[in-house]
Amino acid sequence: MHKKLIRKKKYLIFIGILMVMAFGFSMRVYAEDIKFAIPLPLTGAQAKFGEIEQKSYIMAMEEINAKGGIKGQKIVLRFEDSQGKPEVARSIAEKLIDVDKQPVIFGEYSSSCSKAIAAVAEERKVPYIVTTGALDDITQQNYKFVFRICPSNAYYAGGLLSFFAEIVKPQSIAILYESSDFGTSGADEMAKSAEKAGMKVLAKEKYEKGAVDFKPVLSKIKGANPDVIYMVSYVMDAALLMRQIKELRIDSKIFAGGAAGFAIPEFVDNAKDASEHVMTATLWSQQMPYPGSKEYAEKYKASFKTYPSYHGAEAHATLYVIKDALDRAKSMSPQDIRDAVKATKMMTVFGPVEFVDKDGYQNQNFMDTLVLQVIKGKHETIWPKKYASANYVYPIPKWRDRK
Amino acid sequence: MEVLLQTLIAGILLGGLYSLIGIGMTLILGVMKIINLTHGQLMMVAMYITFWLFSIFKLDPYLSLFIAPPLLFLFGMGLQKFLIDPVLKVESILPHNQVILTVGIGMVLQNLATIFFTSDYRSTPVSYATDAWYLSDIWKTAPIELSLSFSWTISFCIAVAITVMLWYFLAKTDTGKSIRATAQDLDAAMLMGVNVNMMRMITFGIGSAMVAASGCLFIPIYYLFPALGSQFTLIAFVITILGGMGSTMGAIIGGLILGVFESVTATYVGMGWAPAGRFLVFIAALVFLPGGVASLLKRHAIRKSK
Amino acid sequence: MKRYFPIIVLAVLCVLPLVGLNTYLMHIVILSVMWAVCGMAWNLLGGYCGQVSFGHAAFFGTGAYCSGILAMKFKLSAWYGFLLSVPLNVAVALSMGLIVLRLRGPYFVLATLAIGEVFRIFAENVVDLTNGNLGIMIERTWVEKTQFYYIVLGLGLLAYAVVKFITESRWGYYFVAIREDQDAAESLGINTTLYKTIALTVSAVLTGFAGSFYMVYMGYIDPQIVFSLGEISILMIMVVMVGGVATFWGPTVGAVIMVILAELIRSIPRVGVAYQTLFGILLIVIIIYLPNGLVGDFAKIRRMFQRGAA
Repeated sequence: MHKKLIRKKKYLIFIGILMVMAFGFSMRVYAEDIKFAIPLPLTGAQAKFGEIEQKSYIMAMEEINAKGGIKGQKIVLRFEDSQGKPEVARSIAEKLIDVDKQPVIFGEYSSSCSKAIAAVAEERKVPYIVTTGALDDITQQNYKFVFRICPSNAYYAGGLLSFFAEIVKPQSIAILYESSDFGTSGADEMAKSAEKAGMKVLAKEKYEKGAVDFKPVLSKIKGANPDVIYMVSYVMDAALLMRQIKELRIDSKIFAGGAAGFAIPEFVDNAKDASEHVMTATLWSQQMPYPGSKEYAEKYKASFKTYPSYHGAEAHATLYVIKDALDRAKSMSPQDIRDAVKATKMMTVFGPVEFVDKDGYQNQNFMDTLVLQVIKGKHETIWPKKYASANYVYPIPKWRDRK
Repeated sequence: MEVLLQTLIAGILLGGLYSLIGIGMTLILGVMKIINLTHGQLMMVAMYITFWLFSIFKLDPYLSLFIAPPLLFLFGMGLQKFLIDPVLKVESILPHNQVILTVGIGMVLQNLATIFFTSDYRSTPVSYATDAWYLSDIWKTAPIELSLSFSWTISFCIAVAITVMLWYFLAKTDTGKSIRATAQDLDAAMLMGVNVNMMRMITFGIGSAMVAASGCLFIPIYYLFPALGSQFTLIAFVITILGGMGSTMGAIIGGLILGVFESVTATYVGMGWAPAGRFLVFIAALVFLPGGVASLLKRHAIRKSK
Repeated sequence: MKRYFPIIVLAVLCVLPLVGLNTYLMHIVILSVMWAVCGMAWNLLGGYCGQVSFGHAAFFGTGAYCSGILAMKFKLSAWYGFLLSVPLNVAVALSMGLIVLRLRGPYFVLATLAIGEVFRIFAENVVDLTNGNLGIMIERTWVEKTQFYYIVLGLGLLAYAVVKFITESRWGYYFVAIREDQDAAESLGINTTLYKTIALTVSAVLTGFAGSFYMVYMGYIDPQIVFSLGEISILMIMVVMVGGVATFWGPTVGAVIMVILAELIRSIPRVGVAYQTLFGILLIVIIIYLPNGLVGDFAKIRRMFQRGAA
């Protein structure tokens, strides 16, 4: 008798598990809406950026749905966690294309994940819009199906370099960078551009993420006395670097960052007074005069208490580009959507978007890049002049002379 | 000259902190022969406790030294009693189950931290975070500039103090001697009436408390995220092997050696290679000096006594 | 019945693609088989010979980079990587053996761990050869999964055959003798260093094959992925420990559980994020109650259910 009861219980548990699984898998079945799943790093080291993008996508979705959606259909978004790992991102992309039959892919944050998804998309002939992955060669492979909204790494420091050329005219530069693909390519680009501009590269030091003590390397750099110290880091390394630079009282003419960690408010929160007067390249700021930029930034701030980084603007813009393309596309087939995306020419909160083939890049969006500077604890746009929200501070005071 | 001196100073300060991280592990490894792969995660837990005390109660991280280590001490004792000890008693083909067990514990701790606290990087920006003492302030016409960071120095001094207290505890108190006896010869200690189980629990507790203390000392000069455990576990291992399993003095010397080595490598070879240097030191120690610095000390002591 | 079990499993596996699973599920199955290969390789050295290596990622990554570098730097087909990985991994195993095989217990564990990490850092820094952290991306030979599946199945068969052959031969006895009591084995005249080296080398080559397969299948590798301590070395150990050390089917069962269970849990909407916690707990429970793994302690499991019914 007892045995029968046990067997029944096991049966029920088994059925229960099946039901949970079925429920889980069935969460996707709702006709009449356009459904997109977006791969993002929601956990892991890049989770902060994934979160900013996610919130921006949702904001854009709500705005588009309020105005009628795409051809009358509402957009429904779902997010898949890639954990910042390219192989997971790749699996997600394959799943979306093969199993969910999603006709267009967009999303992801890091260059390596974007690159992995780009390869899958090209293989399976489904259009993919790269939102924030900046590695140059993503759009240098003669891919027909991969489009990129953000400028590539080579152009990131464009605004910064023009500021150097016109105002600072530095003779030497020391480059410090995180050993990830983002840091490495940013540093390589800056080294190339610096040499072209006549600056001597005194040092190009790589460090591993999570490094505790930069002071040995910084002392060496201090000894070399460069005019510019250029750093490509994520936020915590950026904060630590500036704090230790302050401790060592290194008085370079300019401290500049290569976007990412230097361009978000957390940098100021963590580096405190060591962040003052630090400049950084960036792709966008909330002071941009593009139509909708300020509104987007203020609305984001109202909901989430901080201003979004440029990644948020990129995500927001991407969803609008998708809507625009789908409005124009002849059908929902990947090829037709791809052709519609190719013909994009519109303005977004991130700036103008047009995918052109230029300079060895294919389907790449080109735009001005800017320079931010931390003035009185806030990021201000200082260059190019036409976008400036405040006057730049140069020369910057020595550490000893600061309050 | 300035670069070299600054590098050495950085190396010594770093080394002192490293020693504290290593001491906990060398104790555990020496007494219980357990490879504790969750050492770094315990540090992470302590750092989160410190962080929340700072965020909510504005408690200075250094004051958390009175709260986090004791909590981790109890937690460590609990881990030993309820999870690790049962595994040691179980009959299994491979005796390495306890290593995997600690891996499992580490995974759980890290993931729970990620779920509850998110992977956001946290820090405790204390008001004195960027303060430092400068040679040129004291010696007005110094030919070089040397700086000594305020928080690094405080952390270093406290680490040294704790290490000295631990050494005193192990050398002079009865409990300490019992622990050392358990490390040297388990059966003999039992025969001498030492409560071996209690000693092991206390040891794991002390080891956890030590690494918790180093967490409190690290958080003002670094930052915090759930995954930081693994790099510190590895550092602890290198110091343990370098210094000799079970030797407190060895851990101190090993930590200093590692700190200086890393700083010098970073300056003169390149910072990207520093982690590799760490491991090469590790392997070299394993191969050429398996007893660690402690064995050198012992040999020296024996030779002196002749 | 028991004799035909492997043949039945093989038959089922061979016809699996024809059942029409979608590519996502095929991906899971392929990964499971790959991990089974890794598990069997590790089991040979760790479970049977008692040398618990925490650095098998060194072999996996070497195999992966063989394929990758051939494709990227020398423009040859990445499939030649399988061939190249054999001599390379033998070399790696022999040199590793020189350093670590003289060590015992915790020292061996830590040394292998350190060597695995050294390989990772090496791959990150020797950028001219490996492209550093930018990783290696190659075009995949086929877009569908079926061919990859049969190749990895073949790999699985190879690993199974090799492990079976060795463990059922006299060498197998030597391995177990070394595991149980190395000094006693030595005193009986068994050349422990020789046999430990053999186990290490065979284990290395098999793991290397899995690594090469990973490169050609996934199309993208970087040092953090293929030389990873947590994602490769430790996962390999978990697969074997969960499944059952020193058993034939242990690694396969372990691989299936780890891969499939991981995916299942990850796709449950709210709970997914906590899957590492659940996994950690699963690991802890198995270590405490089933220290010889699911297959190793199968008798114990059966007893638990019987007790419930009685």
